Amino acid sequence: MHKTEIRVGGLGGQGVILCGIIIGKAASIFDGKHATLIQAFGPEARGSACSAQVTVADEAIGYPYVKNPDILIVMSPDAYTQFAPQLAPGGMLLYENELIKVDGTLPKGVRAFGVPATRFAEELGRRLVLNIVMTGFFAGVTGLLSYESVEQAVKTSVPKGTEDLNLRAFRKGYEYGREQSAGKS
Amino acid sequence: MKLEGFPQTVSLRDGTPVTVRPLAAADAKALLEFYRSLPEEDRLYLKDDVTDAGWLHRFVALVGSGEVVSLIAERGDKVVAEATLYRALRGWSTHVGEIRVSVAPALRRDGLGTSLAGELVKVATRIGVEKMVIEVVENQVGARKMFRKLGFRQEAVLHGHVKDINGTKRNLILASSDVSHVWDAMEALVADFSPSAE
Ligand SMILES: CC(C)(COP(=O)(O)OP(=O)(O)OC[C@H]1O[C@@H](n2cnc3c(N)ncnc32)[C@H](O)[C@@H]1OP(=O)(O)O)[C@@H](O)C(=O)NCCC(=O)NCCS
Repeated sequence: MHKTEIRVGGLGGQGVILCGIIIGKAASIFDGKHATLIQAFGPEARGSACSAQVTVADEAIGYPYVKNPDILIVMSPDAYTQFAPQLAPGGMLLYENELIKVDGTLPKGVRAFGVPATRFAEELGRRLVLNIVMTGFFAGVTGLLSYESVEQAVKTSVPKGTEDLNLRAFRKGYEYGREQSAGKS
Repeated sequence: MKLEGFPQTVSLRDGTPVTVRPLAAADAKALLEFYRSLPEEDRLYLKDDVTDAGWLHRFVALVGSGEVVSLIAERGDKVVAEATLYRALRGWSTHVGEIRVSVAPALRRDGLGTSLAGELVKVATRIGVEKMVIEVVENQVGARKMFRKLGFRQEAVLHGHVKDINGTKRNLILASSDVSHVWDAMEALVADFSPSAE
């Protein structure tokens, strides 16, 4: 069975859980795959850190916990410090590159892709959509899920009236992700 | 600021297509012609002297600075309507946007005013505006009704606040629409708060 384990980490208020929900929803509802989601707030991490664990697979998933993610999406330095060492060798790191400085201590073979998501979100009009830029970036770099299914998941997960800006944020992140991954492969 | 999603084609009630897009510097002359073609009774109740070339020059500069978003509707190479969103970039009301709309008399009551104003409300929420306001003179009945249908509610009356070009004093009505709840919902959604978390 093909299975991809994903962890999303950041601070409370950055929309980490929503990012996880959208990925899970895109996989299970719109892409015909199986997905599980586990949310963790506060206690598991320091301060107001929070994280989501998402598993995406072709078949039903027996064990939903993510120990060594294949893909790590991080939005804060703390989340990076805490979760980056757990990345599976050969895995993929997707990080907010104006908030996080990546050092050389990544597990073997990890490929790292950065995106100025906060700046993009601010340029689009709302810092709040940072997580949606990250979601788009995830979709663009990894190609794990189809563009349409993640777009649908964004559209159906955000509050009414905010779809327009959220979809722009998604596309911005997606396009940047495509460019970055094309540049590195 | 670059606006995405334009140009758009809007069909009037009789099916005539008009193109809606952001104003560009090159449209200045056509815009001035549009305003100069409005009947005097309409211009009586516009806040600025829109037929003045000096005003136009300042207006285009404001569009360039991002303080103003202007959408025009075109039929052929003629401007047939214009809608403006003003937003202060500094100070205590950067979350407030003001809208003004003018439609050529021949094309009124065909939904164009509503669709331009509706587009501007969308643009406004997108760029972070939380409260929309309009200022209309009491006898601009059509405008009052149109904005009421768009969700605007009267908030204040400034008595004798406007002197029209005949020198007659009129009440100015301030109506507003709170669009902040749109983003409150998003804020709540990204709060990542869990009742079980410590
Ligand atoms: C006000 C103005 C922009 C409306 O434009 P428009 O394209 O005619 O508006 P719409 O066709 O979208 O009208 C929407 C609704 O508003 C109401 N309305 C508009 N004009 C009206 C009028 N003259 N009398 C009564 N109701 C009117 C109607 O309810 C209408 O719906 P309906 O036609 O289905 O009954 C236009 O009349 C105009 O340019 N007026 C002069 C300038 C002005 O007053 N600007 C407002 C300053 S903010």
